[in-house]
Amino acid sequence: MDTVSELLSDIVENADAVALFSPTGSLYERFVDADIDLDVIVVGTENGVDADAFVEIPLEFTDITDLVEFGIGAAVGDGYIEEGDVVICATSVFDEEIDTVSRVRAAESVHSDLYDLFVNSRAEPEVIRSVLEVAIDLGKKGQKGKPVGALFVVGDAGNVMNKSRPLSYNPFEKSHVHVGDPIVNVMLKEFSRLDGAFVISDSGKIVSAYRYLEPDAKGIDIPKGLGARHMAGGAITRDTNATSIVLSESDGLVRAFKGGNLILEIDPEEY
Amino acid sequence: MQVSILREPLVLALVVFVGIVALGYVFGQFTKRVLTAIGVGTAVEGTAFERTAQGLGSSTVSVVSRLSSWFIYGVGLLFALYVAGVLDVSVLFAELTWLLPRAFIALFVIIVGIIAGDKVEVLFNERLRGVKFPEVGLIGTVAKYSVIYVAVLIALGQLGIATNALLVLLAVYVFGLVFLGGIAGRDLLASGVAGLYLFLNEPYGIGDRVQIGDRAGVVQEIELFVTRIEDDGTEYIVPNRTVFEEGASKRLP
Repeated sequence: MDTVSELLSDIVENADAVALFSPTGSLYERFVDADIDLDVIVVGTENGVDADAFVEIPLEFTDITDLVEFGIGAAVGDGYIEEGDVVICATSVFDEEIDTVSRVRAAESVHSDLYDLFVNSRAEPEVIRSVLEVAIDLGKKGQKGKPVGALFVVGDAGNVMNKSRPLSYNPFEKSHVHVGDPIVNVMLKEFSRLDGAFVISDSGKIVSAYRYLEPDAKGIDIPKGLGARHMAGGAITRDTNATSIVLSESDGLVRAFKGGNLILEIDPEEY
Repeated sequence: MQVSILREPLVLALVVFVGIVALGYVFGQFTKRVLTAIGVGTAVEGTAFERTAQGLGSSTVSVVSRLSSWFIYGVGLLFALYVAGVLDVSVLFAELTWLLPRAFIALFVIIVGIIAGDKVEVLFNERLRGVKFPEVGLIGTVAKYSVIYVAVLIALGQLGIATNALLVLLAVYVFGLVFLGGIAGRDLLASGVAGLYLFLNEPYGIGDRVQIGDRAGVVQEIELFVTRIEDDGTEYIVPNRTVFEEGASKRLP
């Protein structure tokens, strides 16, 4: 008679590492103390258990596939595991507690675009995360119930400013607000009424609003159906080292551009 | 008849004592309420003193409030003894009225000092946690014992114990800290003050093409201590004091 744990043991056998997604302190300690020949990696939004091998995820994912892919991609990027390693992922799907185990082979394809967006951008990951959150929030609620569009150019602000013109007076002149400050979401929401880009520096300072971007858009290839806002947002990332995060007014999706290419497309309703 | 009983010194003393004990109890409860209301309970959380108090089945708030109660009980007992005429207190009383409040304040200062020291250590360690350097914990410990040292000095001063030698030690310590800190952080201080000026007046902003000293380029970031300017793929990190020492030029649009 086989027991259920024997029948399901294939999932966890012959792995190279085990990744715990937001584990409780006691569970993590049991894994560390246990005499197993595996690397234990903790993945979460914060390192609550003081783990040595910790992979930070910048967003609260609701889709478990995205979460695992990002976690594994980031673990490869941080050097905790190598490509081709088999990783056991312990995640929580239904409750706060860990209730699901999956077996993933870390491959190049798993090295996700989202990871690339956060880690290989010029701006600090925390800044990209805040801007993405603002864009998602704006996409969910809109302005006074109406869908709203917005364009954020993050990083390399000096060069972006030199490749753009003001459309109106700059409300952020001589102010020192940073994305992530509590008041900022409301301000950005108000200022997204007029077209034009928000320019945000590497460290998250909001340099300007209402900028008209003047990049060279020749040869920029963005999906058909997207308008001038996306074209400008995409093109500026080829001319400078900035990252653009664009909220579409027509379809409500948040897109990120880097190096002139569309690298990420997310639906605000999913987060 | 009743009046005459009340006039008995022993009975009167008992009444006085009971009255003051009740007052002390009420005052203790009141202190507890006030301390809880102003959030002392959460403020001291995580400090060693609170942990010790919790280990003994108590908490900082109740220790302090009980202390204030006991102080009043003590006064009540003395006063009762005085009324009863058991104690010839005329001599003792002068001594005690001098000592008792001071002892109370000294004890209170020590408790506050220990808690403040713990809190300072926790704060330092939290701020420095990002620095992966084991010896950095020493800063928190030094800060903690500095605070406790000052608290002990104040307490001893309250009790009228000669603390001159300890004061000299403190003066030398503070002087060393200020002097060495001044020498080590002179450039940082100068840059910080210049950075404040740059923040307030913004003579140049992000995106301006400037020359500071012999570095020229586009301003990418203005921080408190440094300005980052970029030119042709190279980022120069210029200390802000350079702006005042050598001036800066900005190309007008």
